[in-house]
Amino acid sequence: MYFQDLIFTLQQHWAKQGCILQQPYDLEVGAGTMHPATFLRALGPEPWNVAYVQPSRRPADGRFGENPNRLFQHHQFQVILKPAPKNVQALYLDSIKAIGIDPLEHDLRFVEDDWESPTLGAWGLGWEVWCDGMEITQFTYFQQCGGFECRPVSAELTYGLERICMYLQNKENVYDIEYTKGIRYGEIFHANEVEMSKYALQCSDAPMLFQLFDLYEKECKRLIDVQLPLPAYDYALKCSHTFNLLDARGAISVTERANFIKRVRDNARLCAEGYLAMRERLGYPLLKTKWTVGEQPEVLEGRPASDYWKTVSFQKREEGEEGARAGK
Amino acid sequence: MPASDLLLELGAEEIPASFVEPALADLARVIVERAKEARLTHGEVRTFGTPRRLAVLVRDVAARSEDVTKEVTGPSVKAAFDAAGKPTRAAEKFAESVGLSVDRLLRVKTPKGEYLAAKLEEKGRPAPELLPAVLHAAVHGINFKKSMRWGDVELSFARPLHWIVALFGEEVIPVVFGDVRSGRTTYGHRFLAPQPIELRRPADYVEALRAAHVIVDPVERRKLVHERVRAGAEKAGGRLLEDEALLDQVTYLVELPNPVVGSFDERHLDLPPEVLIQEMKSHQRYFSVVDEHGKLLPRFVAVSNTPVKDERVSLRGYERVLRARLSDGRFFFDEDRKHSLETRVPKLERVVFQQKLGTYAEKIERFRLLADFIARRSGKADILPILERAATLAKADLVTGMVGEFPELQGVMGREYAKASGEKPEVALAIFEHYLPRNAQDSLPTQDPGALIGIADRLDTIVGIFGIGKGPSAAADPFGLRRATLAIIHIVLHRGYRFSLVAAIDRALELLEPKLADQKRKANEPPVRDQVLEFFRGRLKVMWAEEHRPDVVEAVLSAGFDDLVAAHLRLKALSAIVGQADFAPLAVAFKRVVNIVEKQGRDIGAGAPDPGRFQDDAEKALFEAYTQAKGKVDALVKADDYAGALREITALKPAVDRFFDRVMVMAEDRALRENRVRLLMQIGGLFGRIADFSKIQAEV
Repeated sequence: MYFQDLIFTLQQHWAKQGCILQQPYDLEVGAGTMHPATFLRALGPEPWNVAYVQPSRRPADGRFGENPNRLFQHHQFQVILKPAPKNVQALYLDSIKAIGIDPLEHDLRFVEDDWESPTLGAWGLGWEVWCDGMEITQFTYFQQCGGFECRPVSAELTYGLERICMYLQNKENVYDIEYTKGIRYGEIFHANEVEMSKYALQCSDAPMLFQLFDLYEKECKRLIDVQLPLPAYDYALKCSHTFNLLDARGAISVTERANFIKRVRDNARLCAEGYLAMRERLGYPLLKTKWTVGEQPEVLEGRPASDYWKTVSFQKREEGEEGARAGK
Repeated sequence: MPASDLLLELGAEEIPASFVEPALADLARVIVERAKEARLTHGEVRTFGTPRRLAVLVRDVAARSEDVTKEVTGPSVKAAFDAAGKPTRAAEKFAESVGLSVDRLLRVKTPKGEYLAAKLEEKGRPAPELLPAVLHAAVHGINFKKSMRWGDVELSFARPLHWIVALFGEEVIPVVFGDVRSGRTTYGHRFLAPQPIELRRPADYVEALRAAHVIVDPVERRKLVHERVRAGAEKAGGRLLEDEALLDQVTYLVELPNPVVGSFDERHLDLPPEVLIQEMKSHQRYFSVVDEHGKLLPRFVAVSNTPVKDERVSLRGYERVLRARLSDGRFFFDEDRKHSLETRVPKLERVVFQQKLGTYAEKIERFRLLADFIARRSGKADILPILERAATLAKADLVTGMVGEFPELQGVMGREYAKASGEKPEVALAIFEHYLPRNAQDSLPTQDPGALIGIADRLDTIVGIFGIGKGPSAAADPFGLRRATLAIIHIVLHRGYRFSLVAAIDRALELLEPKLADQKRKANEPPVRDQVLEFFRGRLKVMWAEEHRPDVVEAVLSAGFDDLVAAHLRLKALSAIVGQADFAPLAVAFKRVVNIVEKQGRDIGAGAPDPGRFQDDAEKALFEAYTQAKGKVDALVKADDYAGALREITALKPAVDRFFDRVMVMAEDRALRENRVRLLMQIGGLFGRIADFSKIQAEV
């Protein structure tokens, strides 16, 4: 199976289940989770079912195109199912069968893995899915996003496309993957890996990046103040990527690091808050649709998620309130 | 009516391996407690668990709860009848509440007087009426380390719950958890038997699932994993490197164990064996294989959850992953060795040990000086050059690639890289040994430098953490201070280091001073030194109570434990005599001394008694006996012969007895009285150096 066929097959599988197919986000992100189609849409009561590929940049993982397994930029296939269907594991296993991995021929296992992103103020529980001892997917039930509880809970499936494809094609080196007939992965991306690694690890202009970080952060906050959470989130992403670049360059000291992470997280939290308020103002339009994927649970205990959000206020907290809370 | 079996099975998405056993214990505990409250008798309780299910099978649960008779008391007889003997309103109301007429009420005598009472018979109820509440409590009573919500459900569980089987005999007991209702349907192996299975009765459970490719009994499954993995290792031409922790983990990663034997490139065998074992174990959960001399072979045994159609297919995956891991490991090993360990030391200035306590560079400086201090105090000044070098390098491996990838290899890599950097073998060994013991089963340091650095490093942590007010609570010990304290005690006793614990703590505090100077203290908080000493005392108490009588341990600790080795010797000496028949009267006599000294001694200044004031022979005799004994006891204590010292002290007993028979301590004359108390204070002081006899439980 060629690299691009792997993408087609996964897209087809999830489209058939009722997911919309979105495109990669057009800003630098470190993971598919940061695409607004995941980070923002996982918030609030509305349903959301989406699949997309996300090129993901990890400056610190840049290896100048010399390491057979590690990349500056790899590709994630991301699926969000909200609310997580009852049979999400079965749907996932069907997708694995679709790409040619038969559970009776391979040792498929769900191995405990807790996911946490300190820069997004997000965490969830789930597994890494193993195929014959190799991690092929990160499977997470979102519990919190931008500091807000996720109700209902989304299931996030993140397929590591290069890794799966290397396995399917029996390649030892990522650059040997056949992208399509006659073209290898390395022929497309090797030069990119070399240059991006050089830039991130050796040539980036740290003072400029520090300046940019401050500017992006300021702009993010300003846009939040004028109730434009979507463009604000773009600047939050820019801050996050700038931080990653600085970190990869070793420009941030241990003591500063925690503070930078907090600044990135604060942006994410403000955007989450602004997004939730915006959806509330719009009256949660997607709640009026009957859009679900897979089997939905019967609700026997607890209220529907949409009720929960009626009781939550997304308005900016009063000055000093947080301090007062901490004081308790 | 005959009794029936009860089965509760909770089917979930894959539960983390370490969660299963505690969850099963919770389930069984709640069921037993609630059944008891509901007065349902039952037989054996067994638990079963796999990654996908938690189950409890209770044999012979009674069909009905037991009948009971309860006595209810009402108003006192005085209040129940008026002067004319007619029942009052209170009596009538009570009678009404228990459904009897006043003349049929009983009278019971209590310490407060006579009361009206009634015997109420409560009939047993059918088990199916009681069991829903019992099972509801059990299902909702599991405390997972971490749990999650799913869908719209407000409740949380380790992972989403999918089914509940609740059967009493052939009857389904209704239980609801979130969006799941109970029934009789379970599921077998995820891939080999995905169809629903209808269970007719609880007794069928184990076999029905066996037929569906699931071994539900963890004990049986563990045995099976072990047998099969061992056989796999033999097939690979060696024997299994036993690993209980890995075996436990793998038991809860599979429902049906299928070992697959694989191999890796021999050229990786020049990596330290710990690296290879750790690579296989921690990331992949593979078992290692060794030859008859215990040398690692380039083989492994993986355990698959599915008996796949063709082993070679999945083997290709296992080997491939390991290959990538080992080349990473080799890469780290080769890269790390390009720089000497020494050149890594400055990097520790950027690694934070604890926010308030500063970086590792600062910590190393502190524990190097502290180790130095303890070594000198313990008469080990000759090893100082090795000790200081090893202390300086002790944490340098934390900033190597390998330890970044495998934190468990700290110390091991330090040793290897020290050797590769041309450090003395003793230095390399000390770097490794300063982490020993890493757990309760681990071995202790074999040489002084590692042992002393280990003590100093841990003591710095303990004092520092207490110093910033983060000492452990009953529930949480995030810095592992209990383990660290126990490790210090074990090392000190094992290696026989004689130094003052208080002096070492004070030295640690002095070194930590710049970090602790700003620390705010609560008004009623004891000084850090006392908190740390109290913490040591607590560990010693628990540790020693395993082999000695708790009151004897307490008696020894109350007499001090500043010199841990001496305290331990005193304990052994005292323990040896407390069991003897003539000890009890001795203890009673000495306790009497202690009691008098405690009550009277407070207002009386220290000082020797004045022999000129002795009136009775018994006084003089006791003083002479004491004076003789004291010289001997001093010498024996100095020579650590506490058994001998105790013998000398016990020889005083006749003189003590005679003193108490003949002499009235509480004489009218104040000077006389004080002189007698002073004499007893001397006696008390003599054995008070061994133990506080007032703590020993003894009766004649």
